Amino acid sequence: MINAVVVNSALPWVALLVPLIASALIVLFTQRARDLSALLSVAAVLVSFVCSCLIFGRANIGAAEIPWINLPGLLRVPLGFVLDQLSRTMMLVVTGVGALIHIYSLGYMRDEAGKSRYFAALSLFIFSMLGIVLANNFVMMFIFWELVGVSSYLLIGHWFDRAAAADAAKKAFITNRLGDFGFMLGILMVWGATGTVVFGEMLPRLGQITANPSFLTICVLLIFCGAVGKSAQFPLHVWLPDAMEGPTPVSALIHAATMVAAGVYMLVRVGFLVQASPAALHVIAWVGTITAVMAGLIATQQNDIKRILAYSTLSQLGYMIMAVGLASGEAAMFHLFTHAFFKALLFLAAGSVILAVHHEQDIWKMGGQGRNVFLTFVTFACGTLALIGCPPFAGYFSKDAILALALQRDPLIFAFALFTAFLTAFYMVRLFVVVFLGKPRTPEALNSRESPTSMLLPLVILSLLALIAGFTFFARHFLPLPDETHSIAPILALGAMLIGVALGVFLYRGRNEDPLNLTALRHRFYFDEFYGWLIEHTQEFLARVAAFIDRWLIDAGAVRGASGATWSFGAMLRLLQVGNLQAYAFLFGLGIIWVIYFALFR
Amino acid sequence: MVTLGQYLGVSGMLFAIGFAGVLLRRNIIIVFMALELMLNAANLALVAFSRYRLGPDGLPNYNAQVLVFFIITVAAAEVAVGLAIIVALYRARRTTHVEDINALKF
Amino acid sequence: MLLLITLVPLLAALLIIVGLPARVTALTGAIISFAATLLVYLGFNSARPGYQFVSELPVSADLHLNFALGVDGLSLTMILLANIVLLAAIWFTGEIDRHENSFYASLLLIGGGAIGAFASLDLFFFYAFHELALIPTFLLIGIWGYGNRRTAAWKVTIYLALGSFILLIGLIMLYRAVPVEARSFDLRVLQSAKIPAAAQSPIYLVLLLGFGTLISLVPFHTWAPEAYASAPAPAAMLHAGVLKKFGLYGWLRLAVPLLPDAAQRWSNLLLLLLLANIIYVGLVTIAQRRLDWMLGYSSVMHIGYIFLGIASANALGLTGAALLMFAHGLSIALLFAITGEVRKRAPSLDFDALGGLANRMPIAAFLFGLGAFAAIGLPGFANFSAEIMVFFGAFRPGFDFQHFHFLQWATLLALWGVVISAVYMLRAYRRIFFGRPTEEIEPPPTDLGLSLRFPAALLVAVSLFFGMFPQGLIEKISPAFRAYFQR
Repeated sequence: MINAVVVNSALPWVALLVPLIASALIVLFTQRARDLSALLSVAAVLVSFVCSCLIFGRANIGAAEIPWINLPGLLRVPLGFVLDQLSRTMMLVVTGVGALIHIYSLGYMRDEAGKSRYFAALSLFIFSMLGIVLANNFVMMFIFWELVGVSSYLLIGHWFDRAAAADAAKKAFITNRLGDFGFMLGILMVWGATGTVVFGEMLPRLGQITANPSFLTICVLLIFCGAVGKSAQFPLHVWLPDAMEGPTPVSALIHAATMVAAGVYMLVRVGFLVQASPAALHVIAWVGTITAVMAGLIATQQNDIKRILAYSTLSQLGYMIMAVGLASGEAAMFHLFTHAFFKALLFLAAGSVILAVHHEQDIWKMGGQGRNVFLTFVTFACGTLALIGCPPFAGYFSKDAILALALQRDPLIFAFALFTAFLTAFYMVRLFVVVFLGKPRTPEALNSRESPTSMLLPLVILSLLALIAGFTFFARHFLPLPDETHSIAPILALGAMLIGVALGVFLYRGRNEDPLNLTALRHRFYFDEFYGWLIEHTQEFLARVAAFIDRWLIDAGAVRGASGATWSFGAMLRLLQVGNLQAYAFLFGLGIIWVIYFALFR
Repeated sequence: MVTLGQYLGVSGMLFAIGFAGVLLRRNIIIVFMALELMLNAANLALVAFSRYRLGPDGLPNYNAQVLVFFIITVAAAEVAVGLAIIVALYRARRTTHVEDINALKF
Repeated sequence: MLLLITLVPLLAALLIIVGLPARVTALTGAIISFAATLLVYLGFNSARPGYQFVSELPVSADLHLNFALGVDGLSLTMILLANIVLLAAIWFTGEIDRHENSFYASLLLIGGGAIGAFASLDLFFFYAFHELALIPTFLLIGIWGYGNRRTAAWKVTIYLALGSFILLIGLIMLYRAVPVEARSFDLRVLQSAKIPAAAQSPIYLVLLLGFGTLISLVPFHTWAPEAYASAPAPAAMLHAGVLKKFGLYGWLRLAVPLLPDAAQRWSNLLLLLLLANIIYVGLVTIAQRRLDWMLGYSSVMHIGYIFLGIASANALGLTGAALLMFAHGLSIALLFAITGEVRKRAPSLDFDALGGLANRMPIAAFLFGLGAFAAIGLPGFANFSAEIMVFFGAFRPGFDFQHFHFLQWATLLALWGVVISAVYMLRAYRRIFFGRPTEEIEPPPTDLGLSLRFPAALLVAVSLFFGMFPQGLIEKISPAFRAYFQR
């Protein structure tokens, strides 16, 4: 990279801007023509995908920078791109998975009234996500970071007249804002120390920060806050399961494959900063571990098919964050890469099932779908195998990389990671057995029908990718792979997986209701209740106090008090106005005498 | 020889009587007459000053006397207006008692 | 050219009072003025220092009074804002059931007054134009307002009149403190004056009180939400969007260059007040249960960010503050406009009484959403680029690895305000446009007509344009502020 001559090209800009243009066109012109809107959006993402492929093939590509804010000597924020292997691979993932999901949406959202709106938001999302991937500085990343949040808000709230969807959208946005508060503060602190926000310019000045380890730790942790929000890590994970109120393709694209991975991507992107602080790394690793285990536990007791997958996403994101915390960006990105495929696959297959049983999401009302929707069944099986880390599927390789890393660096974390691997196998098998095997439990499940081709095609492609994405011969073209370590980690992981599978099959085969009932897990460890209580007793309480002060002390007290005082003073003076002529004359006379006295005798 | 002080004394007494009348009488016509009395007290004082404070040329100060004429004229006009008001007031209120006329209050 | 921009709205107001058809005349006037402003904007040379497009008419030689107009980047931005919002406000004025002519004339007077105040290079006219704009505000709220309109009208009038009066005292003090040779009504002369440090403090405090009342600085803010809740939508747009910026503009013009020592000395007080504006008023906003009150409080809250940029006392923060004034004017005008349309169609603006309006009014919901996202500082809108500059400007000065100083803590808390504003905006949006209606509205509300989409699109487009390419404005604004720090 350093020696190669960089050739500027318009391709990155085209890849970035075409989805935005499509989105704008849909909003402005083709609101009514729903099918045209959908086609526009699909075409845009395909163009982006083609551009990404072209960019991927050219290692020495660059792009022109335009100044966004430029006050010489004070602040310089360009809109410019980083086009290293990392971002080029991410571009492929985003536009590739994105394109498949666009195509899938054509089928899934076929008869949707808000189709134009949906596809406009989808295109906006592709634009924003590409922006994050390409950004060469913190502020630009933050810009697209927020835009991703908005498109996610729009898509979760797509069915805005459902109270749950509207609430979930709001919750997702505000929770992300909470993380962004830290992120922005971290950016400000890094800028304060180095005087630049551009990653490339930051490197040579890194010494200014690393000379102050505690400062650096705070910086990194604040920046990590952004990732905690976006990648839904503990304790800001609560929005992701709720986000499943959005359409299923959205859950697949945004809340599984790409957006939630943005936090991981960002941490890898600023790895030079993150890895400089061992203390921060430690915190990051443990946050990831806690998230992985917690989400895995919760997932074992959920009944909504999408929520189970959402918690599994949380758990897998926990793995990635754990890898970042163990100072291996490669392992994190590898898992991100494979996870994008198989998790998108799982969600899309789940969407196919949901559609087949007429928008029923409760797994206990399905059953026996293996026969009715065979292709979906097969692809879902691929996804499940990949997720639980069964060789030779992709998940096996990437997860083992992380496990081996954990074993090497921190045995305790490894123990938790292993436990999570067991949990993953357990809840996925539970899901699989209940949904696809056994007998149909409702009339809808009995009469379910396979989805249209536009939905099945992406499933097949993604299944293939889920199968091969983990192999070195495939993945090494895209990513710097983590060093292979020879340890017992893969064997232990395989064992944990097998125990999980066996337990799942044993417990759930032929059941019509859940034999386990763990209240705490069922209620997601009461996080929502706790946050509700917290908000009620802090923010809402303070708001009420402030409103009280404003209304009664400032407005009624001080302001109306001042006006009241003026008024009552006037009322007092009014009493002197008796209306009697002679009284006035008397006072007048007294006044004259007083004046004469002062004029003459003083 | 009547001194300036005696004139001023009479004038002061007239003024005091007039002022007392204005303040104390309840009939508005009497009040009005008392008011005239005060004006005339002022006239008397002015004429007295004019007569006793001769200028360097030995002549009285005519400015004061001119002022007296003014006062007489204005007083005449004032009587005309004032009585008209009183008549109008009487027609409206059927009274010339000042205590009954307190519409200015509040 | 500036003469044209300033006088056309006033002239149009006059013609409407005389009896010309109100809407047509008003629109024509606003469009002419807007077009002229665009020409000035395009003709403005950001490389040249000082004021441009200067035109002077001597008024009184004895008093050295000149009717002088001119723009630098700052005033140009504000004039542009005033023109855009004036045009949109007039366009959004629907049918007025009584005294239609006076309504339009009042709007034009506010707009013209604000433009005049921004364009004036003479202290006297700077002040007088603002006073000119205050009276119609009172009329608009008192005659055409909603709810408790009389009380609100009196309250806002007394507040603003008092504020202006205190401001006048401050200006006189300022004038007298300037060394004799620089003593002039002419801003160009006045701005280059140096006031001895000891004399600055009392002037600074009086000006803070005066300007602070005009721009609803806590605790002199309670007039604002009440006034905006009672005012007809175009009046709220113009006042919150433009006229209130006069106080900030004046502060940037006079207090910042002339009283730097006092600003240093009292900066903690200012930071405390502006944090109250952001955090305290933000919390109050969360507690609001009516859309119009919520917006009124939110506009009070945003003043805090602008002041944060001012308090940063460097060209970055000040430019950000100026840009934020511009951006906030656009977004709050859009929000008030849509609120006005909702008010016309819905029985009340209570969160509890509404819901699901996005089904009935998709365009209105879309536009309100854009306004809301702009207001909470979403990238792409000018508000975001401005807030970024404010935060960066406020964070850097005197950076220290070991501990934050007060300005940096203030920045931190202000960042928290961004979370707060997301909470109240999205909550309001959720309650009003999302979900299902708590009770059906009869007759069912209709969406915005085609003709109303234009002014809304204008506001959105300008905000988006300068959100994506803020550099255009920054280049124009920043030289004025850089000059402050080079003296």
